[in-house]
Formats: sequence, C-alpha cells, structure tokens
Amino acid sequence: MRIYIHVPFCARRCSYCDFAIAVRRHTPSAAYLQAIHTEWLLRKDLPRWREGGAIQSVYFGGGTPSRLATDALATILALLSSDHRLAPECEVTLEANPDDVTRDRASAWFHMGINRVSLGIQSFEPRVLEWMHRTHTPDQVAPAVETLRSTGFDNLSFDLIYGVPGSRARDWESDLDRALDLDPQHLSLYALTIESHTPLARWRARGEVVSAPQEDAAMQFLVANQRMVAAGFEHYEVSNAAKPGFRASHNSGYWKGDPFLGLGPSAHSSWQDRAVGDGAPYGGGKRHRAWNRREWEAYRLAVAQGRDPLEGVETLTAAETLLEDRYLGLRTDAGVPSRLIPAENWAAWEREGWAECTDERVRLTLEGWLRLDALVAQL
Amino acid sequence: MLKLMPQMRQTRSIATGGERKRDDPDESLGKFGTPGRYISAMSQAEIRNFCIVAHIDHGKSTLADRLIETTGTVEKRQMREQVLDTMDLERERGITIKLNAVRMKYRTLDGRDFILNLIDTPGHVDFTYEVSRSLAACEGAVLVVDATQGVQAQTLSNLFLAMDAGLEIIPVLNKIDLPGAEPERRAQEIMDLIGARREEILSVSAKEGTGVAELLEAIVARIPPPTGEPDAPLRALVFDSYYDRYRGGIPSIRVVDGEIRRGTMIVFGSHPEDEYEVDEVGYLQLGQQRAEVLRTGEVGYIVASLRNVRDCRVGDTVLDADHRNVPHLPGYREIHSLVFAGVYPTATDQYELLRDALEKLVMNDASLHYEPESSTALGFGFRCGFLGLLHMEIVQERLERESNLDLITTVPTVEYHVHLTDGSQMVVENPSNLPEPGRIARIDEPYVKARIMAPADYIGPIMALGQERRGVYLGMEYIDTTRVEFEWELPLGEILLDFYDRLKSLSRGYASLDYEMADYRTSSLVKLDMLINGDQVDAFSVIIHRDKSYAWGRKVAEKLKELIPRQLFQVVIQAAIGSKIIARETVSALRKDVLAKCYGGDVTRKRKLLEKQKEGKRRMKQVGSVEIPQEAFLAVLKVD
Repeated sequence: MRIYIHVPFCARRCSYCDFAIAVRRHTPSAAYLQAIHTEWLLRKDLPRWREGGAIQSVYFGGGTPSRLATDALATILALLSSDHRLAPECEVTLEANPDDVTRDRASAWFHMGINRVSLGIQSFEPRVLEWMHRTHTPDQVAPAVETLRSTGFDNLSFDLIYGVPGSRARDWESDLDRALDLDPQHLSLYALTIESHTPLARWRARGEVVSAPQEDAAMQFLVANQRMVAAGFEHYEVSNAAKPGFRASHNSGYWKGDPFLGLGPSAHSSWQDRAVGDGAPYGGGKRHRAWNRREWEAYRLAVAQGRDPLEGVETLTAAETLLEDRYLGLRTDAGVPSRLIPAENWAAWEREGWAECTDERVRLTLEGWLRLDALVAQL
Repeated sequence: MLKLMPQMRQTRSIATGGERKRDDPDESLGKFGTPGRYISAMSQAEIRNFCIVAHIDHGKSTLADRLIETTGTVEKRQMREQVLDTMDLERERGITIKLNAVRMKYRTLDGRDFILNLIDTPGHVDFTYEVSRSLAACEGAVLVVDATQGVQAQTLSNLFLAMDAGLEIIPVLNKIDLPGAEPERRAQEIMDLIGARREEILSVSAKEGTGVAELLEAIVARIPPPTGEPDAPLRALVFDSYYDRYRGGIPSIRVVDGEIRRGTMIVFGSHPEDEYEVDEVGYLQLGQQRAEVLRTGEVGYIVASLRNVRDCRVGDTVLDADHRNVPHLPGYREIHSLVFAGVYPTATDQYELLRDALEKLVMNDASLHYEPESSTALGFGFRCGFLGLLHMEIVQERLERESNLDLITTVPTVEYHVHLTDGSQMVVENPSNLPEPGRIARIDEPYVKARIMAPADYIGPIMALGQERRGVYLGMEYIDTTRVEFEWELPLGEILLDFYDRLKSLSRGYASLDYEMADYRTSSLVKLDMLINGDQVDAFSVIIHRDKSYAWGRKVAEKLKELIPRQLFQVVIQAAIGSKIIARETVSALRKDVLAKCYGGDVTRKRKLLEKQKEGKRRMKQVGSVEIPQEAFLAVLKVD
C-alpha cells in the first residue's frame, strides 16, 4: 500500500493554486499531528489497509509540508512504521519550498527516514516567482540543493511551471538549463492551468491576464523534452522525467492503479476489491474512492469530535474504471495494453503520429501526450 | 421573440370534465349554474354573444373575470380556488384546456334575464384567421383600451376585424384608477378611431370592479340579439376546438340556424362525406355543462367521436346530415403555413419520441403541419409549417416541455415561389431544395403588409429598421400628437428572425407590430451555404437577398468560429454562394489538451471531467469529422 499525507498549511496562497490549503503564519503542528494520529487510528485496522501489504511509499504533500515542525513529521512516520510494515525500499517524499530548507531541518528530515525531497522551484526568474506569489527567491535554490545534498539526500526532484501567460516575459529554456545545472534526479514540469477560484482566475476575469496560447505551452513542452532527454532523463510520464532508477515510486502508483490511503484534509484514498470477474480490465474487483473533507478546520473538528472526516465515497463502475485505466496508463511511457483501446482508434492515432503501437501495448508519443484528453474523450 | 408568448390565446384554463363518467346525466347539471334545460329554454332575444378586443396587458382577462364574478356565474371564492386548482391539476397532467367561451346568466337592473356568452379571441398576429372566426360567432365586441397607454397595433387590427364583421363595438377605457390614466386623451383617440360619441365610451377599472355593472347593462342594451332561423336546417360555426384525450376533438360552436342535440347526425362542410353522431352538447361555465340542446344563437360545445381537431377545423360549418346541402357559412379557409423550419432531436435516438410528440400535438393544433425530412448535419427530423414565428416558438416549447425533448430548430424560412428556366414553377420552403442557380429564372418571395404603432420619438429608428429590412414605406399617420402609425410592406423573410425584438428594443418596448400576408414579389435571392471542412452543412443554409448575403455569411462564419471548439484537426468554416466562397474562418487544431498533473484526488476529478466532456460530445452534432455544438445551430438564429 501507499500513503499520502496532506499538510495543508501555507504562508500564503500562490496565484495559480486551487489546492486545499490553509494560510497560516505559524503552522499548527501539534493540532495537525493530533488530527493525523486520530485519523490514522480510525483507518489503520480496516481490512483493506491491514491486508494491503507493506508500505511501498509515503508522500508528504501540500500545502507546504516543509513548514511542519520536524518532530511532528517524525512522529507521523514513527506511527506509520510502528503499526504497519515499511517495505525496505520504501520511498518517503517530502515536498519542500527552497526557503524552508535549513541545515537543521534537512538533517532532521534525513534522519527520520525521508529519502526524497521534491523542491517547489517553479522558475528561476524573480518576476515570475513574484507573480506566482511564491515565498522564495531564485538565489535561495542553489543553497537549498547544496544543503540537502550535503545532508545526504541523493534523490531530489524539482517542480517547474511552464505555459505562463505571455505578458510575463520569461525564458523557459534558461529556466530549464538552470534546473538541469543543479543536477536533480527527477523533474516535474507542469503547464500552468488557470483553475477557477484562484487569484489567477480572478485576474483573468478582470482582463489582467490572458492565458498563454496553446501553441506556446506545446512548444515549451517539446523543448523541455529535448533538453531533459539530452541530459539523460527518461520522460516517463506526461509531466515527469527521471534519471534511470529515479522514477517516482509513489506517483507511479497512481498511474498504475495501486491502492493508496490518504490522510489529512482533502486527501483521497483508493482501493480495489480482491474479487475477480466483474469486468474490470485487469481482472481486479471493484475500485473504490473515498475523500476527506477539504477544509482544515472542518476536518480537524470532525476528527476531534470522533467523527469520520470522510466527505464522500464512491464505487467506480466498470466503465469508469476502464476510463481511468486508459487515461492514467496513456500518461506513462508504458502506455496501456492494446486491448484497452479499440483498434480503429489507435490505428488512426498511429497514422497521425500520436501513438506507437505494438501487438501488446499502445503508447502515446509526445504529440499524443499533448492531445491526451481529446484522444481519450474520443473512445 | 419569446416575449410575444403571453399574447397567444389569452385564455384561462379550466377542467374539461374529460374524466367524468359519460353516462351519468346528473353530473351534467351544473354544480354552480342552473340545469341546462332551464337555460336552453330562453329565447333567442335574450341572448347576447360578444367578445373582448384588447391588447395584451390592457386587462382583458381581469375584465372577463370581473364579468363572470359580477354575474354570479362563478363565485369569487370558487374562481380563485376552483379555477386555479383545476388549472394546476391540468398542468400536472400535461394538458391545458382552453376556456374559449363562457356562458353567464345576467338579470338586468329592470329585472329581465339574459344569457351572455363571452367568446374568447386569440390575441396574436399569427392567429388572425382564428380571431376572425371567433368574431363571426359574436354580435358585439367590447373594445378595451388601457387609459394609460392607448390603442396598440394589435388592438387595432382586431378592432378592424370586428368592425368588418359588423359587430357592435362598446368602447371601454380600463385602468382609470391608475395615476397615469389619461381618459380624455384616450377617449378622443377612440372617438377618432371608430367614430364613437364621448358618451358611448364607458370607464371601468376591472381591477377595482368600478363600471362593470354599467358595462353589463350596455352589453344587453347595445349588442343586438343573434339573428338566425330556428326552424331552418342546422348550421353552426366552429370557432375553436381542442383535443380531449378521452373524447377526441371537441369543437366550440355557435349555432347560426336550427338546433343541435344529442343524437343529431352531423357532417362538416369541409368534408361532408363523413357523418358523426352527436354524443353530447353543452356549454362552458366552470367546466363543461351538459345541455339537452343548443338552439339558434347559442354558443357551446359538441362531442361527437371526432378523432382529432383536424376533423373540426375552425371556420367550418356543422350541418345536419339530412340537410347537408344548405349553403355553408362564409369565410372557411384551409390554414396555410407561413413559416417553415426543420425540427430535429438533439439526440438521434429521440426521433421516435419527437414523432409521437408531434402526433400528439397536432391533435390539439390543427394549424401545425409537419412531414419527415432528413438533414446530413442533423439526421432525421421533421419539416414543420407554422402560422408564424410565435407559433413556431410555442410549438417548440410545448414539444420540449410536454414530451421532455431536446430540440434543434433550423433557421426559419418562408415559402418561395421559384420559376425555372424551363417555364415550370416550384414551391421551396427548405433552402436545401432550391435548384441549381442555372435552372432558376426568378424567385418570388412573400411580402406582408405591416402596421407599426409607436411614440413619435422613435420615428427615425423605425424608419431605419424598415429600410434595413428591405421594406417599402407606404406612409405614416399621427394617431394623436405623440403617436404615429406606420404602414410598410416588408418581405416576410426579413421579419422572421429578430425584427420584433429589434423594434421593441429600439422603442423601449413601446412599439407594437401587426402584419398580414400581402403578395409575392420577385427579389434578387440567393442560396447561401456554410461549409465545414468542405462539407456543406444543410442546417445552416439560407435563402437570402443578394445584397445581404456577404454580411450574413461573414457573421455566421465568425460566430461559428467562436462556438466550434478546437478539435484534433483544423476546422475550416466557409460561407459560399454556389461555388463562390465569400467568407472563411479557421479554428486551429488542438495543440495542448492534457492535465498538467494527475495524482491522488486529481485522478477522480479528471475522470469526472472526462465523463462530462464525453457527455458534451454526445450532445454535439458530428459533421464529417467535426463536432459542432448545439449552440452553433441556435446562434445562426441570432445573427444580426
């Protein structure tokens, strides 16, 4: 099994962010620890998790987990490992902002068992970072990387955002070069999406921001692929590339349909019944989803009052499961088994140069990845 | 256009009594009225048949309610509770029954008893013919004019119809209680209009009930009793009809000569070969009140196992089967559609449902015509003929509401007379059927004579609108110092789309419009097609005046570019006249359509979005490889 822990606290909201976050000057680490502890006690003995095998990965996402007190993080990890077996190769990732990386924290993270840090760099251009409402400056990045390395971290991932509206003059290639110069093991490249209910969406509504043309984002995606491949990376998923041996285990689990338990506000969980033969493509049983209340206060209150903080549960139909398997599988360089895609569709995709198909697998090309949603919607 | 809606059939609805057990005679004795036997015994001299001519909102319904109340036909409390309750019930069952005539008993101040039949008239321009038949059933008309607003175009045309029919007009100023009322000015208008004397004009407030008693007295005193021969063979005028799902078509009739009763064998003048036995006669009060007989001059309904309303068309004459050779009543005519449009289900699997819904609807609406047609863009649907635009909208709305359908209506068009080079002539009401330009000698299009009334402040904009719509200006007259009446001849095709909306908006809602068919005239017309990636989309084709074709083509192309989403391939939109391309727009191919990140909760969210996207695709129409959203078909109706 895999565990995701959502730490919702941020010093401020980034302009593009629509995640479940809680803006707090001081992170309420003690209250958070207590809530996660209680939820863990509520969940850990459910058969689906008790029988879910060793923990393959733990992921602290946010929000800003790097702002959580290190002893709270350590306690959570200790709780998990005392109640459940951690696989020996268990990947433990922490999302961190460069400005939160200090020698003390890095050391604490390393010694409590965190073995992968994902740095939210986004850009190396001050104007872009400012526009994004990020808390760090470009010159904080290299020292943060250096601190993590010298502490012993050998698996670093960087987040970068492209497709930023054109009014922000930005040299994407230079951003890529500067990131690659720091020699990360993993890169996540995200095209900026203007989600509703974000500051960015309001700016756009007021006409202050115009979305970047699709063509620009597509070009930046293709340029990034070239640079990364040239630097020895494998572009193994639409938004992710890694040096050989450093693919993100936790995130790969999402695309493979692995079960995962989510803890914390807004966290989702997914599991699949053992039963065989109800039409699910991999011969598995029915797939289920559950998700927690989104707001930190509502979540905390529910847990504190002994109520289940779940907000919803659903069981996927065979068609929904198939849709997910297609969509997620096609995001990866492994693609999907050919039997999941009607032959006339993948044949047409192949003709257009959007897919490469063998008897066994259908894999999308870069051009196919760019059109993934439209292709899946065709099916 | 929808704003016109309430003007249609200003009727109040009541129960049909359709579910009543048919063989229980006691039920036919009115719950609130008097047994039919008594009323029917009254003589012709004590009958007054009249209608109310009024513009929408000038208080026709309120005045009718007040008359019904004052005569004690239905008590106030019953009206509120009973009438409204029944309406809701009807609405729930999905059918609406028109109260098209109501019978009132009235005792005059000097103690004489009379039967007053108030006959309703449809209130809109699309139904002029039906109005004329309702008027033919009356001897008098109460002309209601809003004391604050004065005479409107619609009132005027109905008034002229009433005067042409030789009805006695009782002019009434309504809403005299309102602060904005100008009774003297409006009275002068009426005097000028119909040559009435000031003392003949009554003042009422239907809302307050003032003046209603005087009006009732005037109706008895001034409207003549029905003429007609009680001993002659039966002749009755059908002035309305509706469909009852248990009892079939039920015509409302005015007995002109003779009498009709249960058991009478009847025929209709328009198809005298079909005989029907009358199962029941009666009149309308609150619900149908069964009666033994309807005599000369009386107004009521008949039930005679008529399959649908086509068997009992408005304007037709009901005759005694044994005397079917007597002259028919004048004025009957077949109803011709003026406006045509394709009606298609959005989802192709709703075709059967649409067909059933249309079948059901024509039972109740003899003026609707339809026949199957198919479109390459829209699949299988129906070409429908309507009396006018309002009628078209009503039909679409009823189909969608009553049968829960999702419909696409194509650009409405008129009937063109196409003269071919080989000397033959054809009628075209679907642009797709227009022959090659080389075979066409000329095309004639229908013109209407339109009357527009408006405050003088808007003369300029209205003149401009008339010009823009290729109108022939006939003249303008001042009705009083501030209001004018225009006469225009306009191509019907030019007022189909948004003419009325434009007129209303440029006059801040004050202008009113009325029109009638005039004649056919030769015009320089062309067929304009829209091509999507080279494929002609027939649903977008229009027949249009050459001078307007370029602007239209350009606007439609621009609009389609806005509405057709980016797709996997580039979409080229072209407007063409014959083989000549007159406008071109391009929707570039999708370059990026993928969610940046997909972890944890994103997975569920993305699945739901994809499902929605797939659902949306199902609602789009596939033309070649291009998906066209439904809004694109609607948008063409709103190009200006």
